[in-house]
Amino acid sequence: MAEIGITTTVPVEIIMAAGHTPVDLNNIFIGNPEAAKLTDVAEEAGYPRNICGWIKGLYAVVINSDSIDTVIAVTQGDCSNTHALMETYQLAGINIIPFAYPFDRDYDLLSLQMDKLVKALGTDWDKVAAVKHRLDAVRAKVAEIDRLTWQENTVSGRNNHLFQVSCSDFNGDVDNFEQDVDKFLEENRSCPEGQEDVRLAFIGVPPIVTDLYDYFERMGARVVFNEVQRQFAMPVPVEDIVEQYRQYTYPYGVFGRIDDIRTQIDLRGVDGIVHYVQSFCFRQIEDMIFREKLDVPILTIEGDKPGKVDARTKLRIDSFLEMIR
Amino acid sequence: MLCGIDLGSRSVKIVIMKDGQIYRTEILETVDFYRRYGRRLEGQLVVDFDSLGLGKLDGLVATGYGRNTLNIAGATVIPELKAHMLGAIWQLGLQDFTLLDLGGQDSKVIKVQKGRMTDFQTNDKCAASTGRYLENMAAVLNVTLDELSRHSENPVDLDATCAIFGESELIGRIIEGYSVAELAAGVNHAIFRRIRPMLSKLLSETVVFTGGVALGGALKRIFEQELAVRVVVPEYPQLNGAIGCAVYTREARNKHVAGN
Repeated sequence: MAEIGITTTVPVEIIMAAGHTPVDLNNIFIGNPEAAKLTDVAEEAGYPRNICGWIKGLYAVVINSDSIDTVIAVTQGDCSNTHALMETYQLAGINIIPFAYPFDRDYDLLSLQMDKLVKALGTDWDKVAAVKHRLDAVRAKVAEIDRLTWQENTVSGRNNHLFQVSCSDFNGDVDNFEQDVDKFLEENRSCPEGQEDVRLAFIGVPPIVTDLYDYFERMGARVVFNEVQRQFAMPVPVEDIVEQYRQYTYPYGVFGRIDDIRTQIDLRGVDGIVHYVQSFCFRQIEDMIFREKLDVPILTIEGDKPGKVDARTKLRIDSFLEMIR
Repeated sequence: MLCGIDLGSRSVKIVIMKDGQIYRTEILETVDFYRRYGRRLEGQLVVDFDSLGLGKLDGLVATGYGRNTLNIAGATVIPELKAHMLGAIWQLGLQDFTLLDLGGQDSKVIKVQKGRMTDFQTNDKCAASTGRYLENMAAVLNVTLDELSRHSENPVDLDATCAIFGESELIGRIIEGYSVAELAAGVNHAIFRRIRPMLSKLLSETVVFTGGVALGGALKRIFEQELAVRVVVPEYPQLNGAIGCAVYTREARNKHVAGN
């Protein structure tokens, strides 16, 4: 059993079916108390200053790791910088398994990609189906945390984010993760309803800034919808695993994401949207599409390196909340 | 007497209002202000109002850079964009306009409809569209900001994305023999091009132009010519945020009195 790094959400069932442990490199990076130093490691190795902080962190996590010698790199559907990330991994002697989500959501192409992964890892589809059933049961519990967030108003935006974002790799241990979820749900029964007067949607990639959710709540607002994190948790149960990863919106075009966002902001009574973008990321361009297509006020926040919310961003958040009120 | 303070990145603006009129104004260097008048007491900034010589205050409202990292003891703190909107409404009596504020390290565009903020954009990670760029360029040209802000005709092309590399670009143009007027006009057009995408999205028939950068006439002319809008610079462009704070005090007090 080996630890296999992943650069973003992939059909994790296949890794587990092969008896390996998936490790979402993003979570390892941002969970490191000295995450900012990891981006320095990448820059010292030669990564340019004006490249995404996540990519640099992902590079350093693998280079510094003693246990990860194989990485599944998503070469289509996440970030084009992953191509060069993959190559610098190879330069350092890491095994790479590329995985591509087809841009047009083509069922057959996706099925082929997954089949290649099944073969590359030496497992079979029956085992994959068994793991899927196991994971779906945990995902259903995480979906309940999400429901409690917006419908019962008893879960913070931060906890909603943490549990959903963890579904990319189930923290490498499904049983343990499920226990954490059960414990949270049990403890949450006695939580009072949140009194925030502004309900926010958080769209875009998970933030590299570590205290955004806390800051929103200190300012009287709460995130009741984490768009991409919710997608990582595969919120809609689908029997066919290929179809499940076809319905997963994040790796495909922005318009599919917009349909999902529209539905959820209506359902959840969202007052304002925070669109988080990473410095130097191509997704910054998509901000103009969100602003054109979504009718709820949008604040775009940009993060570069790991750390706390800076004074300028706080100022912009305050003004945005004031405007909504 | 009611006091509004705008804690800017480059200067601290103070406005004292008495009987609904501006009674006294101060503009102080930010670093000097904190060094001379501020001290920390139990995690809060305490401003020594006595040494500022402002007299006894009935109300104090503050805004601006740093409002999240320190609280002025005894002050109500309001969001910066709100302060600027209130200041513009008070100074000009308008209800529908787009406010463009170019400050030391900030550029802000606020759309105001029926006296309410309906949308805004601010610069985020880059200060190339702010007063700081103009300060640097004025230093390279060895002219005052006043002089720099007079010129809008026959601009030289300046394309550098970065405000710091912009300096070497400008020096390159000086060597090519352009006049100071043409170089200054180029600098003003460069700022305009960086602001235009923000402004175009939130444009109204009237643009209210504030901040220290609005003191010169060149950018106002460029905005009018290029965007075909009416550009109004209020009497106190640089004090607009501080005025908004002082007005907020007055409004809050009036509401309080009315409530009683």
